[in-house]
Amino acid sequence: MEHPVISLKDIRKSYGSFDLGPVNLEVEPGYIVAVVGPNGSGKSTLFRMLMNLARPDEGSLSLFDSAYPGEEVEIKQKVGYVPERSVGHDEMSAKALGEFVAHWYPTWSQKTYDDLLSRSEIEPDKKFGKLSKGMQRRLAFALAAATGSELLLLDEPTDGVDPFARLEMLEDISAFMQSGDKTVVFATHVMEEVRRIADYVAFLVDGEFLGLYEKDTLMEQWRTFWTDGEPDTNLPGVVEVEGGSPSRVVSDSPEETEDALAKEGIRVVRSGILDLEEILSHLMRRRKNAKEKSVR
Amino acid sequence: MSAESAEARIPIQLSMDDPEPMYRQIESQLRDFILAGQLPPGTKLPSVRALAKDLACSVITTRRAYQDLEGEGLIRTRQGMGTVVAQIAEESMSRHRREPVEKAFEDAVRAGRRAGFSEGELREVFEETLEKNESNLEGGT
Repeated sequence: MEHPVISLKDIRKSYGSFDLGPVNLEVEPGYIVAVVGPNGSGKSTLFRMLMNLARPDEGSLSLFDSAYPGEEVEIKQKVGYVPERSVGHDEMSAKALGEFVAHWYPTWSQKTYDDLLSRSEIEPDKKFGKLSKGMQRRLAFALAAATGSELLLLDEPTDGVDPFARLEMLEDISAFMQSGDKTVVFATHVMEEVRRIADYVAFLVDGEFLGLYEKDTLMEQWRTFWTDGEPDTNLPGVVEVEGGSPSRVVSDSPEETEDALAKEGIRVVRSGILDLEEILSHLMRRRKNAKEKSVR
Repeated sequence: MSAESAEARIPIQLSMDDPEPMYRQIESQLRDFILAGQLPPGTKLPSVRALAKDLACSVITTRRAYQDLEGEGLIRTRQGMGTVVAQIAEESMSRHRREPVEKAFEDAVRAGRRAGFSEGELREVFEETLEKNESNLEGGT
C-alpha cells in the first residue's frame, strides 16, 4: 500500500459546546476526496487542523508521514490551501499576491498562475478586495494550484462562484489531477460537485465523522425498487418501505433484496439509484438509531 | 484546457438506472467500440482521470475497467505512454461478436418474464420476430 498523504487517528477537537470527532481518515495519493456536510458540521475546523491553524485536542495527525509542529515547513511546501475566507488579501492585486506566494514555494508555476487568471478573467492589477466573491474564490484557487503542491486543501472553493464558473473550476481541479499522483481534498455542500469529480466522499455531520466512502461503490450499493406489492421491512437489505401502488423500497443491499422480493412473489416494476443527498440522510438516520440503541 | 487533444474522445454513456456496475458498463461499451473497429489498434485512450471526469465517475471505476480490458488483451498501458488499443487476434474477435447477441437475448427473455410471459409465449414471440425480420429482409432485396 502506498503511503497516505493524510493520516488522522482519533482526532478530536472541542469549541465550547461543539465537539468534532473522533475522526479517523487516511487519504492516499491520486484521489479527489470531497468532505461533505451541512454548514457548521466541522469541515473548516478539520481543514484548519490539517493546516496547523488549529490544534487537535486529542489524536495524531500527519501529512506526508510528517507531523506538526516540527516538520511544518516541509509539509507546507507540499500543500496549497484555499481557506474558508482569505484574510489580508484585500489591498493586494492578483499580481502582487502571486509574487508573494511564489516566494514561499520552490515549485511555483507562473504559467499555471497566468493561465488560471486569464481563464477566470481576473485582471492582474485589480485589487483582491475589488473582485466579486466568486472571482476572489477563483483567485484563491489559482494561488493554491500554482504552488505546484502535491496536495490541495480547498475549503468550499466554489462558494459564491456562479454555476458556469463552478464547472470551470471543477475542470481546473481535474486538470490539476491529470498527472495521477496529486491529491485534492475539498469541502462542499453542493452534491452536484461531489457527483461530478469526487473519487471518495467523507461525510461530516454535527461534528460526527460518518466515514470515508468510495463514491461509485456507495452509489451502487443503494438502490430504489418500485414494486407492485408492499414488502415487509424485515426483508434483507431493506432500509425503508413507502407503501402505495407501486410501493417504493430503499435497499442498501440490492441483490439480496431483489432475491428476497422474488421469493416473496413481489414484482419489481422499476429500479434506480438514490441521489447522494438521500444516501447521506439514510446514513445519518442509521447513525442516530445506533446511538439511541447504545444509550438504552 | 485544450493542450491535450491527441486522445480519442469516446462516446461512452453511463446509465445510472442500469443495475450493471459502472465499471462494467464502461468495459462493455469500450469493448464494443474496439471489436467493431471503431477504435483501431494503436488508438490512444484518455487517462483514467480524464475519462472519470467525462463520465462523472471515480478513477477507481475507470482504472478497474481499464485493468479488466487489459486482462482481456484488448488494451495495453505503458509507463509514461498512456493506454492504447492493442492488436487483437481474429479468434477473440469472433468470440466477442457472439457475446452481445447472447446478452441481447438474455435481456429480451428477462423483459418477457417481467411482463409475465410463459416459456411458450416467449418462443412464440421469438419465432414471430424472426419471421417478420426475414420477410423484411426478403422484401428489401
